[in-house]
Amino acid sequence: MSEAFLVAKGIAKRFGGLTALSNVDLEIRAGEVLALLGDNGAGKSTFIKVLAGAHPPSEGQILVAGQPVSFASPKDAAASGIATIFQELALSENLSISENVYLGRELKHSVLGIPFLRRREMKQRVAELLKELDAHISDPEAPVGSLSGGQRQSVAICRALNLNARLVIMDEPTAALAVAETRKVLSLIRKLAERGCAVVLISHNISDVFEVADRMVVFRRGRKVAERLRAETEPEEIVALITGAHPDVRALEKAQ
Amino acid sequence: MRRLNQAMSTLTGRELILLAACVAITIAFASASPVFATPENAATIMRNSVELLLIGLGMTLLLAMGGIDVSIGVVMGLAAIAVGRALGADLDPALATVIGPLTGALLGLVTAAVVVLGRIPAIVGTLGLLGIYRTAIFVVLGGQWLSGLPTSLTEILGASLAGVPLSFWMIALAYLAVWLALRRTSFGLHLLAIGNSEEKARLAGISVIKVRFAAFIISGMLAGLAATFYVATYRNVEMSTGSTLALDAIAAVVMGGTSILGGRCSLIGTVLGVLLLRILQNGLLLIGVPSLWQTVVTGGLLIAVLSLEVLAGRLSFSKLGWAGR
Ligand SMILES: Nc1ncnc2c1ncn2[C@@H]1O[C@H](COP(=O)(O)OP(=O)(O)OP(=O)(O)O)[C@@H](O)[C@H]1O
Ligand SMILES: [Mg+2]
Repeated sequence: MSEAFLVAKGIAKRFGGLTALSNVDLEIRAGEVLALLGDNGAGKSTFIKVLAGAHPPSEGQILVAGQPVSFASPKDAAASGIATIFQELALSENLSISENVYLGRELKHSVLGIPFLRRREMKQRVAELLKELDAHISDPEAPVGSLSGGQRQSVAICRALNLNARLVIMDEPTAALAVAETRKVLSLIRKLAERGCAVVLISHNISDVFEVADRMVVFRRGRKVAERLRAETEPEEIVALITGAHPDVRALEKAQ
Repeated sequence: MRRLNQAMSTLTGRELILLAACVAITIAFASASPVFATPENAATIMRNSVELLLIGLGMTLLLAMGGIDVSIGVVMGLAAIAVGRALGADLDPALATVIGPLTGALLGLVTAAVVVLGRIPAIVGTLGLLGIYRTAIFVVLGGQWLSGLPTSLTEILGASLAGVPLSFWMIALAYLAVWLALRRTSFGLHLLAIGNSEEKARLAGISVIKVRFAAFIISGMLAGLAATFYVATYRNVEMSTGSTLALDAIAAVVMGGTSILGGRCSLIGTVLGVLLLRILQNGLLLIGVPSLWQTVVTGGLLIAVLSLEVLAGRLSFSKLGWAGR
């Protein structure tokens, strides 16, 4: 097993009086797809927002490649190689595909001290990336608002790849997709892992998770209640862990 | 002819409609008034469009970003007082040309501080500033007109370069600069991303605060430049200088196809919107409609265009918070 790219230790997050996360320990490894599962409100999105630099944790520590880090913004997280594709996709519908892929990190060249955009190069690079991902999008200049849900996921993945991300986090990437588009995104996720990326995937779809994930972590009421390798578990067990019917979870919750 | 065809095909539907509307009302007014279709009147319309065009460029940036500035006309008024005072005090006229943009930029900075740092919706924050600036103008002018200013500035801006007045070159340069900033730099891209969704822009790693500050400062600077032209032309400043310009600018920019909610804009549309508005106001005056009705026409047009956009499904205000209702 490769060394962990990211280690989270004792992460807690409180919103006023509400404890959304408490004492979460987790390791994320390169080349591995890690699935986060759990009921609505279990804290999955909150956890990845902490990893993504969108929320500062109330407690705990994050190590990237062995070094402690603290992210003040998604930009900081990106600088550490972490790219996040949020549940509410953070794409600008009014901008083109290539503009979205480069947004916030545009290629520029200076003319008389004015940094002008290198539009042609950005367009070319994005066309290459789309082809590499086999995304079936022909025009990188098309506005993102005109794309289907699956195509938008491809654009978001493109953006993550272009950031040279070493960890790509995806929050319910297939939730709003039809069957064919879901297949496409799942195969993109495997491709990312094969390229040596670490991937964290949040999903409510157990069969999707069993198809792509190497490891699964179950959240319940802000706590991590279980961690399983795919080879060692079954969908029924994972469902029982999510709902709290599993004896391990019961024992854990009784102990508190 | 081919050239013309090409030029036409780069215009959007909205811009073509505006162009057609300009032509149509020109023909209508020409047949209604013998004075309308004269070279002198055309020059008057152009002259009257200068301040609105400059302020409209800034307003296009602000609306594209999801912002607005209802105090911008009065900002021009204040900048005009600064320019007027500088001229009155016999300041070097070359220096007087930078006083306007400088004052405007400074007031833009104040607006940004109030709206961005105060996290107040721009429409409410600038409405507050409008109230404050109005009284400021009254106090500074002491109820008196600033009139009979020296002609030095008029001479500078009236000088000609390659047979064309310097003022024309300066306006062309301002347009080009705004166009480049909007379409060829990260600033423009970030502005449009913020106009689409501030939260998403932030998640993409854009420094939202910096971009919003820059937009308000540029808009203020353009209003200051407009003030310079105003003083050069009229050589006086009064209490109500610039007071209808914010409404005119918002109407012209919205007519031009820029979304009042941000994310989408057209600079050509703004130019056409400004022309349409000024031709309309000029023509109505010539056929005998009292000038009192001008703001009625402008306000009516603004409301009509927005209603049509809502009806056409291009615009929806339903997701706005209290400030939008
Ligand atoms: N910004 C916030 N402010 C206050 N409370 C929040 C905030 N974000 C999340 N919460 C709360 O934290 C808890 C965990 O929410 P979170 O979105 O992480 O759940 P989730 O596991 O992603 O659920 P889902 O599967 O429905 O997406 C919920 O009770 C939620 O209401
Ligand atoms: Mg969630």
